[in-house]
Amino acid sequence: MKLTVDQRWDLVDRISKKTVTVGAYKATLKNALADVTVRPQTGIPFAIAVLYGFWTFFGEFAGLFTDGFFVRIFGTHWIPWIGEKLAGLPDWAFTILVGDRAVFAEGFPGDPCFAAGGVLTTGLFMPFGIVLWAVLALFLVLAVMEDTGYLPRLAVLLDTVMHKIGLHGFAIVPTLVSLGCNVPGVTAARALETRKQRFMIIALLGVFVPCGAQIGMMEELVPHLIGWVFLTLAIGYLGFGWVLNKIWPGESPEILMDVPPYRAPQWSNVWRKTWMRTRHFLFVAVPFVLLGCAIVMVLYATGAMDAIAGGLEGFLATVFGVPASATPSLVVGFLRKDLAIGLLPIEAMTTYQVFKSVILLSIYFPCLATFALLLRELNWKEILATLGFLVVTIFVFGGVLNLIGMAGGW
Amino acid sequence: MNKVLLMGQSNVGKSVLFNCLSGGGATVSNYPGTTVDFDKGRMAIDGKIVEIIDVPGTFSLQPKDKAEEVALKMLEGEKDAVVLCVIDSSKIERGLYLALELIEKGCPVIIALNMADVAKDANIRINAEKLEDLLGVPVVTTVATMGEGLKKLVERMKETRSVKIEGIMKSVGGG
Amino acid sequence: MEKKLSQMLYEEEGRIKKIDPGLRAQIAGMGIREGKEIKMMTKQPIKGPVVVNVDRSNTSIGLGLADKIIVEVEK
Repeated sequence: MKLTVDQRWDLVDRISKKTVTVGAYKATLKNALADVTVRPQTGIPFAIAVLYGFWTFFGEFAGLFTDGFFVRIFGTHWIPWIGEKLAGLPDWAFTILVGDRAVFAEGFPGDPCFAAGGVLTTGLFMPFGIVLWAVLALFLVLAVMEDTGYLPRLAVLLDTVMHKIGLHGFAIVPTLVSLGCNVPGVTAARALETRKQRFMIIALLGVFVPCGAQIGMMEELVPHLIGWVFLTLAIGYLGFGWVLNKIWPGESPEILMDVPPYRAPQWSNVWRKTWMRTRHFLFVAVPFVLLGCAIVMVLYATGAMDAIAGGLEGFLATVFGVPASATPSLVVGFLRKDLAIGLLPIEAMTTYQVFKSVILLSIYFPCLATFALLLRELNWKEILATLGFLVVTIFVFGGVLNLIGMAGGW
Repeated sequence: MNKVLLMGQSNVGKSVLFNCLSGGGATVSNYPGTTVDFDKGRMAIDGKIVEIIDVPGTFSLQPKDKAEEVALKMLEGEKDAVVLCVIDSSKIERGLYLALELIEKGCPVIIALNMADVAKDANIRINAEKLEDLLGVPVVTTVATMGEGLKKLVERMKETRSVKIEGIMKSVGGG
Repeated sequence: MEKKLSQMLYEEEGRIKKIDPGLRAQIAGMGIREGKEIKMMTKQPIKGPVVVNVDRSNTSIGLGLADKIIVEVEK
């Protein structure tokens, strides 16, 4: 026999009357906090404080390891040492593994960690010297936020804004998780109710939300621009979300979500989660970074890079206003965006060109791991739409940024 | 019995329980909808190895998102599995609602009254034995995060059984 | 007096009188049902969602959905 909703509740009430006694409600610190963080007058300042604290911790933690430690280890010890050890290799192998022999002889002027470019020099420095510490810090902070129960409250606070673009507050959960890595972010989108909402959030995540590895590279190389980059991406996220909501058919139901009580994070769980995600980064991302370095060096050594750059020069300059020297970076952007940012010829560009390039790389093709997941989560129509959306976004967004730059004379 | 489905509403501690029972590595967080796909593991019951599956949280058997659809499909696809229904003790009423839905579907059920510590903090007392009498399925109090009650839960897993909703209505009696 | 859930004031308490049939089954599993006591915990500005407390659980409900729930309040 199957009961109706009302019959079933009636039975639940009768059972609980016989088995459950509820004492007086106790006012606790947790309850008071629960109230303060979700009420708009106090919740919004609290949210800003939390995100600011989040960011400060991230910057300090990542900076401590990268600048304080790994730049020196790689720059003054590892790179000269490995260069000496492998000096006997033929030129092509030396170029791929270490870097250009002539430039090595000069001691890689500038910052050797970036100037070298080889698989065993820059290729190892980027993931282990910079990105690992950035993603570790982000995963740690995210894990704490996930475990305390703060995320659903943030979802309530942001629901008003997100509802305007056809999503609802819960979409902030996949978005924030994506700041660590897009892969779990895309998976988390499943908790949204309709196909339309899932498609929208996945498309927006893939295009506008940079992952921890990219953020780590930005923090290291262009810290003065990072605020502008985030602001621009947020505008893109909301603006293009608004357009997608208008043109993509489907329902956008309102938020209906359980808001769990706060809980003290269990440290064992926080560590385990941070470690599992970091391990995923090490196994999935590092091979691609090394491969990307190898490809770039091969393209350089064979002269193919010059040909590609020459072919793209006019196009890049007209549409995006980016010099041809940024080509290698855009080529490996398909493989790994963190590596791509590391390869930007920052000294050879104006500040605005650097800014534009960082944005272009962020909204570029999603990384391979994320793309593989898109294929699984979306149907073919949605996949084509995502790719179309991607192309349109790159041209519209890149073009507009270029026009703004021209208007401003930057 | 060769399969155990771990089911319950969002955020009641299913994944914590899953990790304790199977030694697995399901992701645990404090927001509804952390588990969006199922995780599989193994556990020993009476010296026999059985498969245990961590199913995404579902408020009722009327799915409202993709994760809940996954949950319902699992339940319908695994006809011979038993269901370990996890309830947040501090929100027992709505947990019982889902438990009754599972019982009506004819699933063999055992109930874990999890998060007993939270209920205690909130001054909620549950008579688990009485509840077991009324429902006719095993009911075990647990605090998965502390490992409390888990041994008993595993021991009683073999008592899992399907019961008729009419029987429950009869033993509960009129309003 | 009866009013829509969306019209309840901050910290106001009442009893759920009627839920739109289309919504009833959907929120039944969350413990929100006719006859239950309900308290408004917070309201977000500019047509944002409400957070209500029923049976010691907090649930966030969009304003449009909150329109479909009728509550009996004291005064």
